[in-house]
Amino acid sequence: MKAVSSDFAPPLRLISPFFSYGVIFYLLSMLALLFFEPTFSYAQMNVAGWVHLFLLGFVMMIIFGAMAQLIPVVLEAGHAVVDVYYVIFPLLLVGASLMVFGFWVMPAMLPYGGLLVLVAMIIFAVENIATLKKTTIRTLTVETVAWSNGYLLLGILTGFAIALGLSGDLGIDVTLMLKAHVYAVLGGYVVLTIIGLSLILIPMFSLAHGFEETAINRAFKLVITGVAIVFAGALFAQEWLMYIGYAVNTIGMFFYIWQIYIIAKLTVRKEMDIWAKSMIFAFGSLILSIVLGLVYFMSGKEGILHASVWFLLLGFISSMITGHLYKIVPFLVWFERFAPLVGKKKVPMLHEMYSKEGASMMFWFTVTGVVLGGLGLLFENDILFKGGASFLFAGAIFLFITMRKMLAYGK
Amino acid sequence: MCSITKEAVFDAISTVIDPEVGFNLVEMGLIYDAIIDENCNVHVIMTLSTQGCPLHQMITTWVKEAVERMEDVGEVEVEVVWEPAWNISMAHDNVKKALGGM
Repeated sequence: MKAVSSDFAPPLRLISPFFSYGVIFYLLSMLALLFFEPTFSYAQMNVAGWVHLFLLGFVMMIIFGAMAQLIPVVLEAGHAVVDVYYVIFPLLLVGASLMVFGFWVMPAMLPYGGLLVLVAMIIFAVENIATLKKTTIRTLTVETVAWSNGYLLLGILTGFAIALGLSGDLGIDVTLMLKAHVYAVLGGYVVLTIIGLSLILIPMFSLAHGFEETAINRAFKLVITGVAIVFAGALFAQEWLMYIGYAVNTIGMFFYIWQIYIIAKLTVRKEMDIWAKSMIFAFGSLILSIVLGLVYFMSGKEGILHASVWFLLLGFISSMITGHLYKIVPFLVWFERFAPLVGKKKVPMLHEMYSKEGASMMFWFTVTGVVLGGLGLLFENDILFKGGASFLFAGAIFLFITMRKMLAYGK
Repeated sequence: MCSITKEAVFDAISTVIDPEVGFNLVEMGLIYDAIIDENCNVHVIMTLSTQGCPLHQMITTWVKEAVERMEDVGEVEVEVVWEPAWNISMAHDNVKKALGGM
């Protein structure tokens, strides 16, 4: 019989802070967008501050919490030392906050924040690697977990070097190191992890079965290779190498989208719940982001690149995360508070544990905000961009409220 | 001679509901067979809708407990198999209709 993951499930009190504070960081990220102009440079400190608020505070925080729960599902083995997540959370919380403060107000704080984040991520990666060693399973998703953790370590080391460089403690070429850092973290860890998890979660929630996995195999290999090529190109200042890496990654993402299309065709559940709507919007945004990225390489217009990154971060990555929160959080709460009552008294269904209206408001405000904000960046129009940011902030408030209610359900 | 029938075992298991989809395991088509010997020992053969299901062990425990609540039942064993793999055609029509598969 297949090994079982529910025995290894960490307690809700360990995971819930990652989700609670991740959503607060998301709310703050959307609030901060109201103070930005649609024209900017990636090298600006305030932009770097926002990127870290969003990626470290929201994306990484949620991914870490989700991985605490999902690693046993993927690896079919318990965590090596699950209690390290009690240490990872405060380190990431304080480290991310200090880094954002450093970028926005006091650059001297950057190495301190960076050090805390570095320690949190090293603990996370080492624990994952130790857990990997406990399993004999070698599926492609397991291999991807290993690779993504390797890239995470590279990303955080280059990031820490940048933090030292910006505070004047280390003489490095910050611009080059920045490209290596962004690609290792965003492409090597975040995107690779999302691809790996979506291959597990999307068929699970859509009840799709018996699909061919050739496309996702190619996607994994191409993205892993592409990130390595871009990282090497950035590190050794070889721009031609980076372009090869971009091309390899783009082909990899096409295979990923093709795999999702194959799964979507076999989907049994046709109901349009918040998860299904979020997935459709996420993949629509991903396709748009890739198309805009290709147009940027032909035109060289900065606004198109900004819009491409916008749809990747706020359309694809955000919607993948928020959509799954409405599946994962009710499950965790149900597992902790209601599973022991099964057979003894009536227990709620997972979909009854969140407000459909609240989730729907979150979705439509967010979709409107992403589209308007993307257009604002594309046409460098301040009114459109601010309008988009306002809608996103309103959507984030609904996410925050529905999340609080989900976590408090049955308390 | 045991008086417990396969139908009665399926009826008992139909009290177990998958909290994600909201249907019981029998109408989902997840219960493949129930073998009852002359001492009323019951061997349930079932599957799950996905191999990575985090509720795997909990669901098998619920099935075991549901059958154990039957009168005069002996030892209860639950075996999870992955062949044949579950697909929506195994579900009852009301499930297919509700999920949008019909």
